[in-house]
Amino acid sequence: MNNKNIKAGITVFPGSNCDADVYRVLNAVFGVNASFIWHKDKIKDLKKYDFIVIPGGFSYGDYLRSGALAARSPIMELVKDYAVKGGITLGICNGFQILLEAGLLGGVMLANDSLKFECKDVYLKTLNTDTPFTCAVKKNSVLKMPIAHHDGNYFATGSIIGGLNKKNGIIFKYCDEKGQITAGSNPNGSLHNIAGISNETGNVMGLMPHPERSSEKILGSEDGGWIFKSMIKYVKEK
Amino acid sequence: MNKTKRSTEKLFGLSVEEYEKISELLGHEPDGFELGIFSAMWSEHCSYKSSKVYLKTLPTEGGKVLIGPGENAGVVDFGDGDVLVFKMESHNHPSFIEPFQGSATGVGGIMRDIFTMGARPVANLNSLRFGSFSHPRTPYYLSEVVKGIGFYGNCMGVPTVGGEVVFDECYNDNILVNAFTIGIAKKDGIFLSSKCEVGNIVVYVGSATGMDGIHGATMASEEFDLKKNKKRSTVQVGDPFTEKLLLEACLEAMEKKLIVSIQDMGAAGLTSSSFEMADKSGKGMLIDLDAIPLRTAGMTPVEMMLSESQERMLIACEKEKLDELKAVFDKWGLNCVKAGEVIKEKVIKFYYNSKIYKTLDVDVIVNGPEYKRPVKKPEYLKEITPVKIDNYKIPENLNDIAVKIITHPNIASKRKVFTQYDYTIGTATVVPPGFSAAVLRVNGNKGFLLNAGGNSKYTYLNPFTGGALAVTECARNITACGGYPAAITDCLNFASPEDPEIMWQFASAVEGVKSAAVKLNTPVISGNVSFYNETAKKDGDKTYVSKIYPTPVIGMLGFIEDVNKALTPCFKDEGDEIYLLGSFKGELGGSLYMELAYGDFRQKPADLNLDYEVRLQNCLRSLIEKGFLKSAADVSEGGIFTALAENAITNPEKILGFAVDYDIKAHGLRIDEFLFSEFEQAFIVTMDKELSGRRESGIAVILKEYGIKLEKIGAVKKNIMKINGIIDLKSGKIKEGYYSVI
Repeated sequence: MNNKNIKAGITVFPGSNCDADVYRVLNAVFGVNASFIWHKDKIKDLKKYDFIVIPGGFSYGDYLRSGALAARSPIMELVKDYAVKGGITLGICNGFQILLEAGLLGGVMLANDSLKFECKDVYLKTLNTDTPFTCAVKKNSVLKMPIAHHDGNYFATGSIIGGLNKKNGIIFKYCDEKGQITAGSNPNGSLHNIAGISNETGNVMGLMPHPERSSEKILGSEDGGWIFKSMIKYVKEK
Repeated sequence: MNKTKRSTEKLFGLSVEEYEKISELLGHEPDGFELGIFSAMWSEHCSYKSSKVYLKTLPTEGGKVLIGPGENAGVVDFGDGDVLVFKMESHNHPSFIEPFQGSATGVGGIMRDIFTMGARPVANLNSLRFGSFSHPRTPYYLSEVVKGIGFYGNCMGVPTVGGEVVFDECYNDNILVNAFTIGIAKKDGIFLSSKCEVGNIVVYVGSATGMDGIHGATMASEEFDLKKNKKRSTVQVGDPFTEKLLLEACLEAMEKKLIVSIQDMGAAGLTSSSFEMADKSGKGMLIDLDAIPLRTAGMTPVEMMLSESQERMLIACEKEKLDELKAVFDKWGLNCVKAGEVIKEKVIKFYYNSKIYKTLDVDVIVNGPEYKRPVKKPEYLKEITPVKIDNYKIPENLNDIAVKIITHPNIASKRKVFTQYDYTIGTATVVPPGFSAAVLRVNGNKGFLLNAGGNSKYTYLNPFTGGALAVTECARNITACGGYPAAITDCLNFASPEDPEIMWQFASAVEGVKSAAVKLNTPVISGNVSFYNETAKKDGDKTYVSKIYPTPVIGMLGFIEDVNKALTPCFKDEGDEIYLLGSFKGELGGSLYMELAYGDFRQKPADLNLDYEVRLQNCLRSLIEKGFLKSAADVSEGGIFTALAENAITNPEKILGFAVDYDIKAHGLRIDEFLFSEFEQAFIVTMDKELSGRRESGIAVILKEYGIKLEKIGAVKKNIMKINGIIDLKSGKIKEGYYSVI
């Protein structure tokens, strides 16, 4: 299967602003056939897509709570239906927040413990490489990607964390360059340094850092590309 | 009572003479509506009445310039059918009154100027000036301004890739916020405000009009008096979410060819957009005030005309395309209402309550006064003489001074500032903030470089050369990355033009900008002037005026063929050899060292030789292009020590050091002159040791061609900072200080 036969859908809400980056990287760097899905597009379902990306940004201006309004947008009903039926769904940054608000993932996002917007490179330890998003990543490898968010401080109750642990749902944790999961390498105060989680069935992942901004050498890191490569690999082998 | 003062109170900033002139032009005394419109359009902010005569002298054409000043922003050819559109603008007064909203709407305003032209904003820069770092209000201004810039730029999805943050007591009572945006468009996809055709529909799009920002332009054209708090309602309130929708809607409408002409509603809102569009198109307009969407019911006509509510645009479109235009804005959930029509007669006819309310002549309104204000060389300059260094004993411990300099708030890392801005969005940022110039890639490997800054202390000490230095310094930063300086935008921040000494500073600084821009072939394609950056203060019974130093700030665009070849200033590997490229005079006048070591910087700084500067930069660029260099950084504030130290620690992922030995005796210098002289025309460059063989021939040819000297001064080391056995510091320790001040 050729990459260009893989169909990816990128949801676009008013205020989404990483949509064009994800689009460019999927099409131009990985040769996938990616297209936008406007939140009001009148479509029946998302069946034709091999995977869906909910990109970052400030959907609805982050008003009320980050992701809260987008989660109640008509297109999200289709995303929920797609995800429940096993569709591969990746939420990046604001997309992660939307997945939380939509109930597709467990937990919430608080404001960063610095109470400031934080844009910088972070290191991620890959804890589970047996997912559609990490199957091309070497186990325990450390990936360098940038974060850019104000509300990325992941929090969840003990029972949610317990559930995540049981199903290997914690996919990425913030770590230092050497892969040590330390307090100093946690950029936003996230519980247990959590940077990315999946749902119980493993087909939905939310991730705060931006893989699309770290998929090309010229931008300082190609590590984010492993996530897209994994998704492509998974689709091909399915 | 002082005449100007009285007029300020009574006439919204218009002078008595101006008021009389208006009465004469109208044939009657202006009523409230007319006075409101005149006060906005004839304000310094909108009319450039004091600066115009000088701005006309700036070079605005040549090189790759397609459109110079006069439109919303300037346009430069980027090749392959693409153009870059950029401009810098001040938002000083609003930011001093309400720093969060002031800076946020400054960023919002400049981005609108760019996408009004049909260009998608791709990067922001800013130049920020705050009061003394120890002033009790400075932390508040710093945190609020930075938050405001991030709030707006981050939400818009436009990366903020660089700029400068400067602290000086001259800004204690007038902070400066200068915002720069660059956008990219197709060469045949540029939109102008001058294309209205008779019969076009005038369409109002974007946010509804509210009571915010009324008299904003007038406020920005006055000094702050002792009752400044009363000006709060003149500051606009920004909503970046709406602007993001407006951006997408406008670009979509442009793409679909639904727009004939367009202008954003910035300073003086509907007034300036309607009159300027009409004037530039040589047409008139009918404006139906009943159609204007309002946030506050019952706003009067003059309030509607002067509101500076954000995120609004005025569009001229063909009658038959109105429905399609409405559909686009409807998709994005924005207002889009027919608010009038373009007419032949060059007047604006306002309708209100379904009747003709007022008819105003476009030429009368837009052709405001133009002044050649009195100039006088400032008294204080008489005291500015070259430093007599023999009168100053070299301090015992130069290491302490060196640490003080590298941890001075103006030198120390601004990392905690720029990490609050999203600088990675857009997948284009090749060299992020924190280095000399930002490097962005556009298509494939093609890219451009951006830099903004200016040295106000130097400009205070020598206004002409300060103006020139602002340009050459930006160019140095771009050249040091391997780029070609292409064009500039300027933000000229000064105190009151009614003071002849300030006007002299202004005239001299503009002359300096001009000289350097001509020599470096970097035309001025856009810009803005901000006067009245001064505040009346009371100290006990004494009243005085706190004025900023003359602060010309330059924003520069440079080109680079292959972003992979862009150089960063930081040292790369232990063992690399360190060289000094250029001339070295060792004059300490006006330096940070003089200020910190002796508490006195009011001396004449070293001169700037512009012919030499051009040769030096061309030489450096040749060396970079030939691949001889591994790093390059200019010697500026804080001198050679600071340049070396920064090169060792600005890449937090690879901290290095250096050992330098320089024969100061042979060069007739004192050690402090070598370490800290800062107004030098020189670069610190590094080379791979293995290159020695090739260096002889290849490098010598280039040096000879440009007549530039290259001296080896040391080598890159691991964790030490050693100079001439006198400076002896540890990189790790310096790094800690450098990154923790701000």
